[in-house]
Amino acid sequence: MTLKEFYESIGSDFNAALMRMGNSEKMLDKFVKKFPNDKTAEELFRSLGEKDYQLAFRMAHTLKGVCANLGLDNLQKASSDLTEALRNEVAENTPELAEIVKTEYEKVISALGNLD
Amino acid sequence: MGKILIVDDSQMNREILADMLEEYEILEAENGKEAIAMLNERANDISLILLDMIMPEMDGLEVLEIMSKNSWIDDIPVIMISSEDSPVLTHTAYELGVTEFIRRPFDSLVVQKRCHNIIALYSKQKKLVDLFADQFYEREKNSRMMIDILAHIVEFRNNECGLHVKNVQNYTEILLKALSRMTDKYQLSEADISLICNAAALHDIGKISIPDEILNKPGRLTNEEYQIMKTHSAAGARMLSDLPFHEEEPIVKYSYAIARWHHERWDGRGYPDGLKGDEIPIAAQVVSLADVYDALTADRVYKKAYTHEKSMEMILNGECGTFNPMLLQCLEETQEEMRAVKEKGSGLNTNDEHEIKAFARELLKNDALYSSDRLLRKLEYERLKNRFFEKVTGSCSFEYSVSTRMLSFSENSAAVLGLPETIMDPHSDWRLAKFFGKDKLGAIISRIRGANVDEPVVMFYFHQFITTEDGKEINSFLLSDSHEAEVPENAKCFTYKLICLTTWTAEEPPSYTGVIGKLVPYGYTYGMLKGVDDIDFKGIL
Repeated sequence: MTLKEFYESIGSDFNAALMRMGNSEKMLDKFVKKFPNDKTAEELFRSLGEKDYQLAFRMAHTLKGVCANLGLDNLQKASSDLTEALRNEVAENTPELAEIVKTEYEKVISALGNLD
Repeated sequence: MGKILIVDDSQMNREILADMLEEYEILEAENGKEAIAMLNERANDISLILLDMIMPEMDGLEVLEIMSKNSWIDDIPVIMISSEDSPVLTHTAYELGVTEFIRRPFDSLVVQKRCHNIIALYSKQKKLVDLFADQFYEREKNSRMMIDILAHIVEFRNNECGLHVKNVQNYTEILLKALSRMTDKYQLSEADISLICNAAALHDIGKISIPDEILNKPGRLTNEEYQIMKTHSAAGARMLSDLPFHEEEPIVKYSYAIARWHHERWDGRGYPDGLKGDEIPIAAQVVSLADVYDALTADRVYKKAYTHEKSMEMILNGECGTFNPMLLQCLEETQEEMRAVKEKGSGLNTNDEHEIKAFARELLKNDALYSSDRLLRKLEYERLKNRFFEKVTGSCSFEYSVSTRMLSFSENSAAVLGLPETIMDPHSDWRLAKFFGKDKLGAIISRIRGANVDEPVVMFYFHQFITTEDGKEINSFLLSDSHEAEVPENAKCFTYKLICLTTWTAEEPPSYTGVIGKLVPYGYTYGMLKGVDDIDFKGIL
């Protein structure tokens, strides 16, 4: 699967992501491939499990930023919603929003497995 | 080139930014604390900071707070990278001195351009501030040196060890700074403090009028001698007020106040004027206390030095005069600093470089704006004046600049002649050729080019003939060295004089830079007002 096909498969805007990287496919490729090694998502799920919501807020916030830069649109949207749910006091629907983040995260990771 | 410090808790974000900014040297910090540690170590090395807002340990706003406390924010620009849109955060960040924002997701081109522009801007400003500070420092140094020399002459005659003036200046500075921290009552700016310290050097200048036997008498002065000694303060002030120049300069005013009133007392029992309380200018009050402290703690022909403790005790007990209670409080608060100066001397030069730079920056900020504003208003005024004079004299004026190859007519001239206000490359312009006739235009230009720096003014006459054919007016011109012309049949004739001043560079040999000129109706001579033929242009350049 090419990089373009990867972005299409997760419903994200390839061209916008590419442009932000100064139209360098090589650079985008490099960072997208680093994404599975980024510890932010892992830390997010762990802190949620431990009910450390302050840390979870920060991790969700960071994940949102990273996804925005890489153009992982759906995951960015999901982590953005979760960030807001965690911002001041923990909102009721936090578990559901966390589930959506998890699902979207796994979609990205599994699609990345098919990337050339 | 300096380095860019990227402060972000996400490694991925730092790496992406570093890649986008590969032409720069990059430093990285994971959180605010690390960033501050790096600033502590190498603030001078860092030319830009990219700062994340939300981070563990210490967040972006806290970093900004510390940066503004340490004045780092004045020299190091900060771009905040944030996905937070909250206006409160944005406002707070700007108040704390952030230069710019970049929103997430960040775009490589935007990141590169912003970083580049901001670094360029800051380095330009820094160069300006440095340049200005250097020049300012040089001038300051020279005038300070002259004051020092003068003060030294007084001191030399006084057989004092040569440190008295310096000490009084240093004590004055310490006390003034303490006083301005304590109260706003006296409105002391940094510049005032610096001026007063300089002026303090001349406090005893009047002593050069006191006879040597009295000035350097080892024992106690008789009452009569003491009365003579006391005249030194009024005498010093008179020397300064009799200066035939600079009397309006703040330093002269401060020197006058200090020389005259540094022996006044808070209770009104001092000399020469018996001023009381805050009738005594604050500069003189402070120098008076500094003078007393130094007199006590130093050896004199008539006494040995007292210790710091003994001197403090004597001053606070009122054995050496009465002082402003607030100043006594300043003295008590700063006594360790005073003692250190007494024992070691001090960095003698009161104004350190940092202060001068801060001052330069301020001046640059306000004065530059002020003067360009003033310049604009002046230009506006000049234009108005020109317009007015042209209208009332019915004349036309123009200028031509070699460097821009542009001929410009004044508004009035353009309207009267029916020509555009500006004409590029007039030599080959068809409108001018049509107006004057091609050969006439060439003749005008070659006459003007015949001028040189010794004879920069070119004048000749212009005769305009107007004939009417089939109800249409036809114009023709005649260039001539005479104001008289043979007028064709049926033509109306108007005569003008064209006066051109050619302009030249100041170098050797001078080169031609352009022309300013005026076309005036010929023939006005009204009594004391001279006609255009009688104007003397000698020495105009």
